[in-house]
Amino acid sequence: MGGLILFIFYGSILFFILTTALRVKKCIDAPVHLHWELYKGSSIYESTEWWTKKEITFGEKLWSMVLDLLFLREFYHRNRRFWYPLYLFHTGLYLLILWHAWLFIRAVVADIETASIFGWVWGTFSTLLTFIGGMAILIMRMRDEELKVHYPPVHYVKWVFLLLTLIGGVYAVDLHFKSSIPSLLKYVREQVTFADFEHKLRPAPAPALHVLFASVWLIYLPFSHVYQLFFRYYHYLRWDDVPNRKGGEIEKRVREHLERPVTWSAPHIQSGKQWREVASEMQQPPILDSNR
Amino acid sequence: MKAKRKKIRLQDISLPTDEPLITIRADDLMPLPPPLAREEKKDPYPSLSEEQKKRYESSLDGVSALSLPKPRNKEEEEKLVERFLRGLEKLLSPNDNWLFWQPLIQSLESCVRCQTCSDACPVYLSSGNQEIYRPTYRSEILRRIINKYIKKRGKILSKLTGDDIELNWPTVARLAELAYRCSLCRRCAQRCPLGSDNGLIGRELRKLFSQEMGIAPKELHESGTVQQLRVGASTGISPEAFQGMVEFMEDEIEEKWGRRIKIPVDKEGSDILLIHNSGEFMSWIENPVAFAIVFEAAGLSWTLSSEIYGYEATNYGTWYDDVQLARISLKQVEVARKLKVKKMVMAECGHAHKGLIVIADRILLDEMNFPRESFLPLLEELVCGGKLELDPQKNNFPVTLHDPCNFVRLMGIVEPQRRILRKICPQFREMEPHGVENYCCGGGSGFAIMSSMNFKEWRENISSRMKLKQILEAFNDVLDPGIKKYVCAPCSNCKGAIRDILASNGLWERHSIYYGGLVELVANAMVAMKKPFIDWEWH
Ligand code: SF4
Ligand code: SF4
Repeated sequence: MGGLILFIFYGSILFFILTTALRVKKCIDAPVHLHWELYKGSSIYESTEWWTKKEITFGEKLWSMVLDLLFLREFYHRNRRFWYPLYLFHTGLYLLILWHAWLFIRAVVADIETASIFGWVWGTFSTLLTFIGGMAILIMRMRDEELKVHYPPVHYVKWVFLLLTLIGGVYAVDLHFKSSIPSLLKYVREQVTFADFEHKLRPAPAPALHVLFASVWLIYLPFSHVYQLFFRYYHYLRWDDVPNRKGGEIEKRVREHLERPVTWSAPHIQSGKQWREVASEMQQPPILDSNR
Repeated sequence: MKAKRKKIRLQDISLPTDEPLITIRADDLMPLPPPLAREEKKDPYPSLSEEQKKRYESSLDGVSALSLPKPRNKEEEEKLVERFLRGLEKLLSPNDNWLFWQPLIQSLESCVRCQTCSDACPVYLSSGNQEIYRPTYRSEILRRIINKYIKKRGKILSKLTGDDIELNWPTVARLAELAYRCSLCRRCAQRCPLGSDNGLIGRELRKLFSQEMGIAPKELHESGTVQQLRVGASTGISPEAFQGMVEFMEDEIEEKWGRRIKIPVDKEGSDILLIHNSGEFMSWIENPVAFAIVFEAAGLSWTLSSEIYGYEATNYGTWYDDVQLARISLKQVEVARKLKVKKMVMAECGHAHKGLIVIADRILLDEMNFPRESFLPLLEELVCGGKLELDPQKNNFPVTLHDPCNFVRLMGIVEPQRRILRKICPQFREMEPHGVENYCCGGGSGFAIMSSMNFKEWRENISSRMKLKQILEAFNDVLDPGIKKYVCAPCSNCKGAIRDILASNGLWERHSIYYGGLVELVANAMVAMKKPFIDWEWH
């Protein structure tokens, strides 16, 4: 049993890293797309000779992304009612993720016995926020007529499972480790330093269950829409405006695509020829006489 | 009292019946403000004739935008479904659909079903929240078909994820029509907190039908892009006919301005090649005339082109077909290159702006990457930079501004038109909402020129309804027919859609609400005009 949990835990980490790498690769390999933009307000096209103007910088984009992710600005402006629980949930979750990172680092870099109560407060507070937010989202998803529309059944299961994971965490920390941060850190240290294998093969059920829950999340995460969000910023999608400059990167990447064959098969397309040919050739010659 | 409506589910899209999923009744529609508030409501569109119903698919909502003939037998149906699936595979392949793969996948995968977008959609709201017009309805169906038939998820997972849509001919036929119940205004995409673009999904669906199955509205394809590539313009105007129109314009200019000028045509080496939507020459010649007067008065170095493809800004490919989009864009740029002008300037045509300046941007490589810009910043320089002698009092009547989606929300040209109007129209008032939050005129994505069977009525009473409401609200304090009012719509297609709603509701005859472009107002304000430029004659 213990062996299985170990296998699932370390396996899920490996799986997480691999699938993430694959998704990132897929994202980087993705073809450059046509310029299909939306605008929040005035753009460079409001000037004559806009091609001589500068686009926004990488720093500005990054800053905008950080604000979006931290405060869920888009929801704040466009769906305030739903923003409240979402904001609670996400703030809790970010804090909780940071707390786990802190646990892993704290467990190996300093003396465990000196850890203060602060760690416990941080963890409990974040869990509480996440729980309240998650619960509110679940309730809204079940009761609000609009939020029920098209919501796949499996996502309800997801929210319930998430709440269970949080409860499992609280159970492990407060009942199993008796709210003692030093005992918790000791346990974490065992996990990250690969020490005391014997002990690991006979894990205590409470932390083992929590670890198992965590593994399921690690496996799910690479398939969730969260990743898609990051890719949006990477890929000139929305609120981003990158014109094609002569001799630039976009031109280089598009050029490759133009050599590829067109595969669409409607009669007006001339399937099989290269994009370049299909776009510049006439399917039928133009009529140049004047008897029309 | 409203009858309780049948609840439409996603799965209903595959109901194997000829009966429409919904029939919209007068009572369903979003109410309109005065003066139309108290008028008896009528059903938004007539039913098709029995003969039409027998021959064409109309099982979505009883409307036919596509005149899609019914398959003759089961085999034919199966073949079509098979072709749809092949097309769907291509749509999802980064090789076959490199041009839009990124934003499409982003849109398919990032939706969290919060329905924030629904309240943004003019079609959904105007129709009285008809489920099938919800921006996510078509996207969600497509998503589920993909999960079931392309990703081939198993039975249990399908049940859990809700991917239980059956892909049969009724599904395909209804989806084809449904792709033409969205005007691609992308107001929903603007609202979506996750960046999912249901407008784009609609466009990609149109593209699948066109590029794989050869299914597209006749007005966009045969008499649109195909005709443009053959003759030079989607209106069918040939280069010779165009020359005749230029002479007519010169006469008009002489009458209004009191000066006979030679409109520059094919003048090599000019700074500017001005390209109009050729519909302007057919229906609103005063618009190119006003441009000519303003440009001449400002002493610009400019020209029109009479070359094949050089006098037509439209590119309907923007709305339904990447190949046609690319073909037409290349032809248009080629004309400018040959004329050795410094830049191309798009006149009052929204989709031509978005199509040639923005969307085609990345397929115009090397010497084809030719400077292209909007008329708006240029016009602003002329009006606000003191290059013209203007008297705003000549425009002393209520004016409101329609924001064409294509160059406002989809291109970020928001302020120049406002600065111009504030300068030359003392009674300028905004519609609400406006700017990047504007509502589509209802004629977007080709709707303005589509008129198959009962589609025109659908457009006038549903997709344009929100615009009608906005216009009436903007003028609610000046409805008195003694006060002439002007809806400024600086885009040819928007102008067509707005003309039709004003006409079918009798708003010109009964309340003196007139419409026109932006540059006409500039010409009207010019001190040097012999006669008022705007003649308030309905057309
Ligand atoms: S498209 Fe966007 S706004 Fe609409 S339901 Fe999906 S996530 Fe919400
Ligand atoms: S693009 Fe416009 S018309 Fe289409 S679904 Fe979105 S809001 Fe509605």
